[in-house]
Amino acid sequence: MERFRSILENFHTYAENWKKRSGGRVLGYYEPYMPEEIAYAANILPVRIMSRHAADDVTDRQMYGNCYCTRDMLRQFINGDYAYVDGLVNTEGCQWLYNAFQTTLNSKPELYGYYLFMPDYPDGRTSKDVLRSELDIFKCRMEEWTGREISNDDLDRAIDVYNENRRLLRRIYELRRADHSVISGSEAMELVLTSQIMDKSEMNEMLKAFIPELETRKPLSDGVRLMLIGSETYDVALEKLVESLGANIVIDELDNGSSYIWNETIPQKDRLMALSLRCLGRPHSALKDSVWRRRPDHIYRLYEDFQADGAIIAKQIYCHPHGTDMYMVWKLLRERNIPYHTFERDSTLPYEETRQRIAALIGMIEPGITRLSGWSNS
Amino acid sequence: MNNQIWETRPLEIWERAKELRAKWQKSIDESAASENALLAHGNAGRLDWSVGFTGLNIIEDNPVGAMLANKSDEFSRKCRMAAEIRGWGRELCGYVNNCWGSMFLGRQSDGSEFPMREMSVPFPDPCDQHTKRGQQCMDLSPIPRWGSDFTMYLGPRDPEREKAMIEHKVYCTLHVINEIERVFGREFDDEKLIAAIGLRPQIEIYAREITQLMTNIPSPIGQKDLNSFYTVGMLTKVDPEETLDFWRSLRDEIKWRVDNKIAAVGTERYRWMEAHPSPWHYLKYYRYMEKYGAVCIGSQYTHMMAGTLELKEDGRLGPTDEPRLPKDRSIRTREDALRATMLQARIPCGFKADEYFRVTAITDFAKGFHVNGAIMPLWRGGVGCTLTRKEQALRLNEIGVNTLHYEGSQPGDRTDMDEHHFLDQLDMWMENQGLRMLD
Repeated sequence: MERFRSILENFHTYAENWKKRSGGRVLGYYEPYMPEEIAYAANILPVRIMSRHAADDVTDRQMYGNCYCTRDMLRQFINGDYAYVDGLVNTEGCQWLYNAFQTTLNSKPELYGYYLFMPDYPDGRTSKDVLRSELDIFKCRMEEWTGREISNDDLDRAIDVYNENRRLLRRIYELRRADHSVISGSEAMELVLTSQIMDKSEMNEMLKAFIPELETRKPLSDGVRLMLIGSETYDVALEKLVESLGANIVIDELDNGSSYIWNETIPQKDRLMALSLRCLGRPHSALKDSVWRRRPDHIYRLYEDFQADGAIIAKQIYCHPHGTDMYMVWKLLRERNIPYHTFERDSTLPYEETRQRIAALIGMIEPGITRLSGWSNS
Repeated sequence: MNNQIWETRPLEIWERAKELRAKWQKSIDESAASENALLAHGNAGRLDWSVGFTGLNIIEDNPVGAMLANKSDEFSRKCRMAAEIRGWGRELCGYVNNCWGSMFLGRQSDGSEFPMREMSVPFPDPCDQHTKRGQQCMDLSPIPRWGSDFTMYLGPRDPEREKAMIEHKVYCTLHVINEIERVFGREFDDEKLIAAIGLRPQIEIYAREITQLMTNIPSPIGQKDLNSFYTVGMLTKVDPEETLDFWRSLRDEIKWRVDNKIAAVGTERYRWMEAHPSPWHYLKYYRYMEKYGAVCIGSQYTHMMAGTLELKEDGRLGPTDEPRLPKDRSIRTREDALRATMLQARIPCGFKADEYFRVTAITDFAKGFHVNGAIMPLWRGGVGCTLTRKEQALRLNEIGVNTLHYEGSQPGDRTDMDEHHFLDQLDMWMENQGLRMLD
């Protein structure tokens, strides 16, 4: 676990070393809907652009009203932290992320930039066709950019590597369903975030060695099991805070958490159509849950499957997709008598305030949970 | 300093614009009360398929929310509170919170019953909040909702890339029409659609002429006037023939004003532009700026009916290259008509794509209108209203256009806007440019 954690904490160094080692290009991307397999098939390392918690004194010139995450993404480019990135891709999605992409390209015109249209109406009959067409063009652009053809074999290899990564991470997620889990919420989130900046082939080998170790670990002590819902996260500060209070986040419904690994690409002769169907069929983000809602069913199913006792909704300030979906999530939780707490995150997590709030939530839930009262042990 | 004084006079078409708006409002209220009419949330936009259904009225939350903000601060505040307690944050779009808050309260600002929507067909737009609109009424009562997409891409025009996008949008629209026929048992009149679509390019030509006429010094009308017109045929849908006639008459009157040097502001000596909608509860800043002899010539937003514009070699604003329908192409079916509209439209189309992708669009606009300054609002509660605004200001500064930012919640939400501070800002900004209020 320490190896994964070290890579995540030093993700810039990891990508720089990968570049030196492989001679390949690094392509930054913003939205978790990015069809990474196509870039990976061209020996490109797709890395998720991630924010960090640092003082920002540069982005006010270009941005207003953005969430802190997107401000920090721009800040890191302006400060040169992402100097190893050769190009950027944004897939249609959250507009603040688009803004980070566009302002970065304007500030760093030497970067290769590509905007990939990804339907906001993923349920439409022709959505898969327009996306397939977009993927085809994206593939051509990647071929032009790298000067190498992407063959079907290359695509198959990339799809296999990505599917295997999802499967291995799902195995770890499944361990969290146990009454006494062997992995904490913060560790699981660290693994999913690491997968977004690592070469997945390398990570798969690490995961294969790690999972047997994990399965023989001493289970964690029992505590309140919580579900995490809300805006994307780039760190595990909240998960660790919850753990410090004797509780554990056993499942999340974050766009770059469980949703990132939840479905695999089902192989078919038309590889691009297979990728198109995976993108559209993944658990909908708050933004793309735009017609008949799928999110409530998905959230509730996760909640039941992972036997959560309550939920935390952590929304990023100025996150409009989640702001507009909050109503539906509240309604769902209220209707099913699920205890929950909503709070907004900004550039940093206000530790003491959040600690008190989460402690109050846990304190409210705990007395009603039979298994925690000691009855089951007698 | 230019001390010339031009003649001013009220617009004759003003009454007609008000009548059209009232007619549209009446049709909304009546359709909610009538068993024969249907009321939909949304906006058909440029691809106005709604004309094919007799008795179908379609209304976006923008004009409802804006009107509520303009009419009654007290009531719009109650509406936003009704939305907030159901989970919509106050940093979200005021239009949405006003409109659907009114639905939650069950009444409109005049006390009449809120007209419930019978379906939702949201207007595709890159703004996150547009994408999610109409789920509020769908969640409240089980009404159908159909979607579409705002297809965009970065870089030069690529007709090959557009093919699949056009097919997607055509299919989505055909699906909406078929579903309304099936679910509501309504018959769609293809002939009406074909006729309306035939009129659309002409409306855009008139709108473009008006934009070009407004580049004249003195400007024949100002933004305050344009605010009342730019929605006719877009957000405010009335009969297509009537819409065409309105835009023709408006063009004629503005042309007459230019020919006779009739000004919006008689003391015009300073021209400014803005971006996106104004704070609808506080439009008097236009009059305030007139005290400095300053006229607002509009924004890319209020000139959106003119289509995408660029600066031509002669220094005038003209249309960007747009794909045109081959002249020998016949339009016989609704599918032909929808595809033709999409071919005529630019993908990505409109000022939104100009804001996002064509970075020179804003400076072309400023140069074409000979502006001295720009007042660019920063709206906290609107992604689409705020995205790129800071960068636009930087680009304008680079070409010597002075820029002022002011802050607020959203055009339909006055919560965080400090009007007194705003006027102070205007005074300081104008005085810093060497201008004083005229006697």
